[in-house]
Amino acid sequence: MAQPTAAVKKRKGILGGAALLAITAGLCWSLVIAPPDGYQGEVQRIMYLHLPSILTAYLSYFLVFIGSGMYLWKREKKDDLLAHAAAELGVLFTALTIVEGSIWGKPTWGVWWTWDARLTLTAILLLIYAGYLMLRSLIDDEQRAASAAAILGIIGFLDIPLIHMSVYWWRTLHQPPSILRPDKKPWETVHPAMLTALAVSFVGFLLLYFYLLSLRYRVGEMRQEIKALRLERGA
Amino acid sequence: MGPWGFVSLAYGIVCAVIVLYWLFLKRRYRQAEAELNRLKSSEAVQSHDKG
Repeated sequence: MAQPTAAVKKRKGILGGAALLAITAGLCWSLVIAPPDGYQGEVQRIMYLHLPSILTAYLSYFLVFIGSGMYLWKREKKDDLLAHAAAELGVLFTALTIVEGSIWGKPTWGVWWTWDARLTLTAILLLIYAGYLMLRSLIDDEQRAASAAAILGIIGFLDIPLIHMSVYWWRTLHQPPSILRPDKKPWETVHPAMLTALAVSFVGFLLLYFYLLSLRYRVGEMRQEIKALRLERGA
Repeated sequence: MGPWGFVSLAYGIVCAVIVLYWLFLKRRYRQAEAELNRLKSSEAVQSHDKG
């Protein structure tokens, strides 16, 4: 595995700086520029965190799905490293989504939590990928751990279409999507300033996500190099 | 708690968790980098001694 060059480190720094800038812009747009919602008032501003968080988590689990599938097919360590790094970040962003939703739910629904289909399926998603991380640490044989985790990573991904469709299939307290609606374009249902706040916030989350992913991936890569060097010494 | 209280709580928790995770990740990164450099330099010394 290659040692990161100064250029790679510089690229990481640029990505981190861009993420910080975009997040600052997202915060300004979400908390200052965007108008309050006509029905929900100021509390709706939590949605500028909630939606980007869950979309980032979905992206992360998609990378787990791809990395796991590629690992089972080609048995290349880099795919497993990608799946592992993405799963850790997916758990982080799913946990944040649940916390944000809960804080929004209290003033809007009157409860911190309810066993609604979408909320429950999202909690299951979090448990599946927390289980994925635990499974990896419980099995000593590295290849067996990677294979078992890859299978769980693929199965877990099937929960995401269920989460998305749950608001159509069951009677839920959670409202249907405002942005990803099949019948209307986002700008037909959401105020342009709110849509911009959401888009800027989402770009910030994406940049932050790829910055954290690059750091986490490199940690995994270095751990592999350390293991290989130690084995070499032992042999 | 008023509406801005809930908004502040949500934004505060998200910022705090992300900053803490970033610091934790940075620490893991530096530890792994230091360990790797140590192993590589001792390997270089060993191969130099053999030579």
